[in-house]
This record gives sequence, C-alpha cells and structure tokens, in this order.
Amino acid sequence: MATSGTASTFRPSVSASSRLTHLRSSPPFKVPNFTPLPSSRSHSFSVSCTIAKDPTFLMAEAEKTKAAGSDPTLWKRPDSFGRFGKFGGKYVPETLMHALSELETAFYSLATDDDFQRELAGILKDYVGRESPLYFAERLTEHYRRENGEGPLIYLKREDLNHTGAHKINNAVAQALLAKRLGKKRIIAETGAGQHGVATATVCARFGLQCIIYMGAQDMERQALNVFRMRLLGAEVRGVHSGTATLKDATSEAIRDWVTNVETTHYILGSVAGPHPYPMMVRDFHAVIGKETRRQAMEKWGGKPDVLVACVGGGSNAMGLFHEFVDDTEVRMIGVEAAGFGLDSGKHAATLTKGDVGVLHGAMSYLLQDDDGQIIEPHSISAGLDYPGVGPEHSFLKDMGRAEYYSVTDEEALEAFKRVSRLEGIIPALETSHALAHLEKLCPTLPDGARVVLNFSGRGDKDVQTAIKYLEV
Amino acid sequence: MAAELTTTLRDHVGRETPLYFAERLTEHYRNKSRTTGDGPEIYLKREDLGHSGSHKMNNALAQAMIARRLGCSRVVAATGAGQHGVATAAACAKLSLECTVFMGTTDIEKQSSNVLSMKLLGAQVSSLEGTFQDASSEAIRNWVENLQTTYYLSGTVVGPHLSPVMVREFQSVIGKETRKQAKRLWGGKPDVLVAFVGSGSNALGLFHEFVGDEDVRLVGVEAAGLGLDSGKHSATLAVGDVGVLEYPGVGPEISFLKETGRVEFYTATDKEAIQDWRGIIPALEASHALAFLDKLVPILHDGAKVIVNCSGRGDKDIDTLIKRGNPSSLSRVTKINHFSLNISLINYFHVRSKSLATMSLMIITVLSGTESQRLWLEKKHY
Repeated sequence: MATSGTASTFRPSVSASSRLTHLRSSPPFKVPNFTPLPSSRSHSFSVSCTIAKDPTFLMAEAEKTKAAGSDPTLWKRPDSFGRFGKFGGKYVPETLMHALSELETAFYSLATDDDFQRELAGILKDYVGRESPLYFAERLTEHYRRENGEGPLIYLKREDLNHTGAHKINNAVAQALLAKRLGKKRIIAETGAGQHGVATATVCARFGLQCIIYMGAQDMERQALNVFRMRLLGAEVRGVHSGTATLKDATSEAIRDWVTNVETTHYILGSVAGPHPYPMMVRDFHAVIGKETRRQAMEKWGGKPDVLVACVGGGSNAMGLFHEFVDDTEVRMIGVEAAGFGLDSGKHAATLTKGDVGVLHGAMSYLLQDDDGQIIEPHSISAGLDYPGVGPEHSFLKDMGRAEYYSVTDEEALEAFKRVSRLEGIIPALETSHALAHLEKLCPTLPDGARVVLNFSGRGDKDVQTAIKYLEV
Repeated sequence: MAAELTTTLRDHVGRETPLYFAERLTEHYRNKSRTTGDGPEIYLKREDLGHSGSHKMNNALAQAMIARRLGCSRVVAATGAGQHGVATAAACAKLSLECTVFMGTTDIEKQSSNVLSMKLLGAQVSSLEGTFQDASSEAIRNWVENLQTTYYLSGTVVGPHLSPVMVREFQSVIGKETRKQAKRLWGGKPDVLVAFVGSGSNALGLFHEFVGDEDVRLVGVEAAGLGLDSGKHSATLAVGDVGVLEYPGVGPEISFLKETGRVEFYTATDKEAIQDWRGIIPALEASHALAFLDKLVPILHDGAKVIVNCSGRGDKDIDTLIKRGNPSSLSRVTKINHFSLNISLINYFHVRSKSLATMSLMIITVLSGTESQRLWLEKKHY
C-alpha cells in the first residue's frame, strides 16, 4: 500500500559536531532542588555541576554560549549533555542512564531512517488526520478590530481536529513506533487530564502494545470519562495515592516503574519535560505543527506569522509551534500559563512567572517551590496546565528573552471558552482557552494587519461538564 | 459559493478526511476466517475526524451558507442523538446566524453533553414532549410560522423534496474524496462499500458517487437492537413495510435503491456492535457497519478492497458503553429504560412505605445512572 510521504516529520536539531560521547554526561549523584542565593536572580548564575575529564573544554563551551548571546542560530538546543543553557540535563538514578542513552541513539538513527520516516508520515496522515488546517478565524478577527477598522488577523492552527482531539497524539504515535523498533512490548505513561493517557492508550491499541497508565487518584475522579476511555482502549489505569495524588506524583510513579522494568518497557513521557533526550525528542515529534504552519502561512499570505501564541503546561504544544521559528527573530513567541485564582492567591500554575530554578523529574528548570525547596501544589481549572514545572527549553527561551510568558486566570479562560464557541463554532479545550484569553490583552497592542497564529491545541468536549458549573448559558 | 464552501470544509471542518488502511482489523480477519490467502483489505473512511466528530457537519455548514445567501437571520433544526444539533449550532455560530434546535425531552436527558455543547455554541435548545419525530414536526411548524426570517436545516435524507437531494449532494463529498483516494492508494475502485443506515445520510454520502459503477457492491447495515425477532430494533428496510413515514423510517432514495437491488441491506445487533476496534472508538452507529464485517469478510475474495464509512466518533456514546450489558435496545424505536423502571418502582414503594427497597433502588440509580439521571433524582427526592 503506497503512502505519500509529504508530511514532514521530526529531524533532531543537535548538530553532529556537538555529540561528544567521550565525556560523561551527568554526575553520579542526584542534585537536590536548587535555590539560588537571594541576592542574585537566576539568569546571572551559571551552574556547572558536571564532572568532565577535560574542564577547560567545558569552560570553552560556556564562553561560546555567552558569545552566542542574542543570535538564536548559534544556540545549542540542546547541547550534548541535553542542556539548554543551564536548564535541562539528566538528573536521574544510575539505572536509567543506559536506557536514556539507548533512547537517544535510537532517536538519532531513526531520523535518517527513510522507512521509519515514511511509516510515521503515513500514520500521521491517515490515522491522525494531518495536516491540520490553518484556519482564518473571521469572527474573532472582527471581534478584535478597533474603531478605526484596524486590527490584527487571527489564525488558528487546528490541532483539535487530530484523532483523539489534541496535539498529544503526534508524540504518542512517534514514540510508540520508536518503542517497537527498540523491541519493547510494554509501554508506560503518566497523565493528568487524561488526554496524554488516552493518546497513549490509543496508539498502543493501534500497534498491539501492552499499556499501563499512571494517574493521580484525585485526577481519576475529576476525569472519570477519560479513565473509562483508556480502559475501553485496552489500557490498565493505575491510581497513584502518594503525595497529593495528582500529575507530579503520577510522573514520579511512572519513573519508578521504568527504573524497575527498564529492559522491557518504554516510557512515553507526555511533554517536553523530564530528562534528556525527552525534551528534545518530544519537541521534535511535535515540530510537525510548526513546519506545516510555515508552509501554510506561505501559501495563504506569502510570508511568515508575526506572532505565535500557545498555552504552556509542560510546554509540548508550544514548543511544537515555536521550534520551527526560533531562528526567525522577527517572529514573536508568546506562551500563556495558568494563573488559576490569581498570581497572588498562591493557587496557580504560573511556573515561569512565579517559579524558581530547581530540579524536578530529571531536569533542571523553573518550578513552583517553597523556601524549603518542596514542590508547591499548583492549581488550574484546566488539568492539562496543572503542572508545577515546565519544560527546560521554555525556561531557556525565557531567560534568553526569545519568548515572552504571561498568564491568565481561570475566570478569563472560561470567558474565552464561551467567547470562541459563540464566535467561531469551535469549542476549545480549557487549556487552549488560556491562550485564547490572552488575545484580549495582546490584540489592542498589535499593529494593523499583524498576523497572529494561535495553536488551537485541543477541543473542549471533555470540558463541557466542568465549564457549565461556572458559566451561564 | 462553491469556492467558499470548499475553503470552509478544508479549514473549518478539516477535510479531506483520510482513507485509512486498518492494518490490525485486516490482520484480525485474515487470521480468523481463513486458512490460506491474504483475505480482503479493510479501509476506514474517517468521517469521525471531521470537526464536531461526525459527517453531519458537511451538510450543516453548506445549508447554513445557503440560509445566509437567502437573507435568513435564523435557522431551526431538529435533532435526536444531538449530533446534527451540535453541527447546526456550530455552523450557525461561525456564520452569525441565530439558531434554535428542537429536541425531545427523552433525548435531552440521554444526551446532556450534546445539549450543553449546543448551548455553549450559542444555540437555543427548545424541548418538547416526545422523540425526534415530534421534534421534527415542531421544527417544521416553527419554520412555517416564520418563513421570512427562518431557514429549516434538515439533517438527513428523510422528508419532503428538496431535503433528500440537497443533503445527499452535500454529503456526497465523502464519496468523491473516496474515489480520488482509492485511485491514489491502489489505482482502482473499491470492491465493497459498507455504511450504517439510520436515516441514510452518511450511507448516501458514500454510495452516491458509486451508484453508477455496477462493479462496486453497496452494503447498508441497520440496527437490529436486541435482534430482529425481539421487536426491539429499528431495521426498517430489513423488516419494515412501505408507507408514508416521517420517522422512524429511512430516506426515499435509500428505499428506492433497495427496491432496485442496487444496495443490499443487512443488520447488526447491539451486542455485535460493541467490540474492540483497536485504537478508534467509533460511534455506535458506525460500529454497526464495522460489526457486519464479521459476516461479510469470509465470503470475499483475497485482496478485495472494503471501505467502511466510519461516520462518527464514539465519545458521545461513552455513557451508554459504561452501561454495557444493559439489555435496553440502543435503537430509537422501542426501548426499556432502566431509569424509568427504577423511578416507577421507587414511586410505587414510596407510596406504600419508606422502605429499604426504596433506598436500594435510589442507591442503584445513583450508582449506575448518568449525571442527568442523578440530578433528576436529587431534585425529586432531596
């Protein structure tokens, strides 16, 4: 059966010269949560806690990064240790080191494997339903038009139309294929809202793999329908009762399982977080979003987008859209996090605005922690943004000033949820609603004719019952 | 308008929908029903991936555009399961049209998610006693009373002319794409087309393009509920008689195609429809078409290309599937409603005495009922 290979798939961005295998890539001990000294903010601190045989080489690398400064084309995203600047890395137990290297090697080799690329492209096209449209939102554009007739033009990248209703499947499908190539028959994953769990269960059913999903017991109650869907697709859903019984505890449990069963099991991490190579790999699997967008923008208006907007929980949909355009410095990139009940309420998930640098789930990044370095329980009405950490690459892009990060409250997100349903006839996921809500603040500041591409990361059918408790219809 | 419709179908609905080679299903049938040979190849036309989750959107958008062209400011429609209602509400939101959807109270209770979606999309949901039949009549009555401003958006190929032709035309994009995709994939035409027949819109949408190709076999699958002999089914064409039916019935063109023998009709029961479809949760309607493969595949030659219209996704049916094993028929014609049974029993015992039986029944309803049923219970008894 012939499949067309026109859909572009991942290509890793690390150049061959920076892959230095003769150096150890991380220390043999686990670095605890890192709290910077109160006098200096994190971007002036440079951390080097790796042991290298040749210390002068590391210093030369650090110099190079400083010199690269504001030219994104010179940035290493990531470097050979899996670092984005000082963020990222592999803070994991020794037992996982081999699995992570094996994964990295497999990932690089499959990038040049034509059979794999063709198979992946075919599945993305016929099973997932790519390419997703770049849709001109006429009524939203009209809504933001100013009195003098000027205003930006709003386009929505329709990841909601993918099979299972969100962008999550791009990564799940690619990782399942990769797992099969590695000969692994058992798949584990963590999930918060359930979307990544459903995507994983879906691809395991498609490829005939055993599937175990870890989910916080509290989340299981909130998202009972998704739990049922996963079970219907043949997955085993294991409730996690430790800690606060939410996403971060489910992730820890999944990592524990992986440590125990590393020979037979592949861990499909759901976002651009976690130890290297996951942030790079998940980003590259989602990068198809940005690649399609570039092509579609060229077709539609013969140019590039002016502004990219996406919601940020772990950061996968945002990186999927942004990655393609990081080197195009005239393209503005905006990430929108969840401010829950408000930034001052203490009940939010605005990691990049209110967090500090530390290590969580194997990577150094911004995270919500208290003075003792303990993780603060986040809150958001949308389960998918309810994560106390964020992908290390987002932390890097923020510190380098390449991307801007804002946040939006539950209330503002709900208003946007209702507004976009009414204006465009598309019900957005509550996660996506955060990005849509930010348009209220963004659009008045944009020049006439500025083209905004917003990543419509998921559909809102799963949120209708929740939203109705707060909205009057 | 054709260009506008094409762009909207592409960017808003996400067409064209893929023609997906169902590898594991094909393999399943190869191992199950044959000792030698490769068996037929099973393809799914993925209408479940269209915006709003079913083929209904193709028609709703096109008709809403016509409504605008005609200068109408308002659209009325009737819906049973809610899919057409949601598609109509979405199309009207996009095209700034006012929208009123008529729905029977029994359906509203069963499809609370769809009702909420319609309201979120800005539509007004008008409830009335009865079922889809009554809702249709009420919608048409409303249309007739407001002819100057209002457009009646029919969801299916049933009803007076022009509905059957118009809806078929707008759904025929399914078949047109399929022809092109089949050509691209294997350089030929399909051998068999299989589709669920409720009223007939998704079936005609796929079949219409191929009616003139005598070498393409057309198979329609109706719902046999608990079985054709049970009396609890909606297999109109397999068992029904010709008459002037509004609904339950089936489109006139489909009936004609049966009479002339161009389309063959079979049925599938509730039990057959609920299976593991390997990574897709199809709508219960589409599952009937898929279930029929069990009987069809053994008699096909090796390499026969079978296309099944996967007309919708099954998220709307999760509540029903949770109660799997419940002997109620899933068809619209007759049903045992466990909920009403529970409530009437509760009322009976309540009148006699506030007994343990009452409490048990209430507990059963609370544990096994849907959210809307539980809310009803809360309102009545607390």
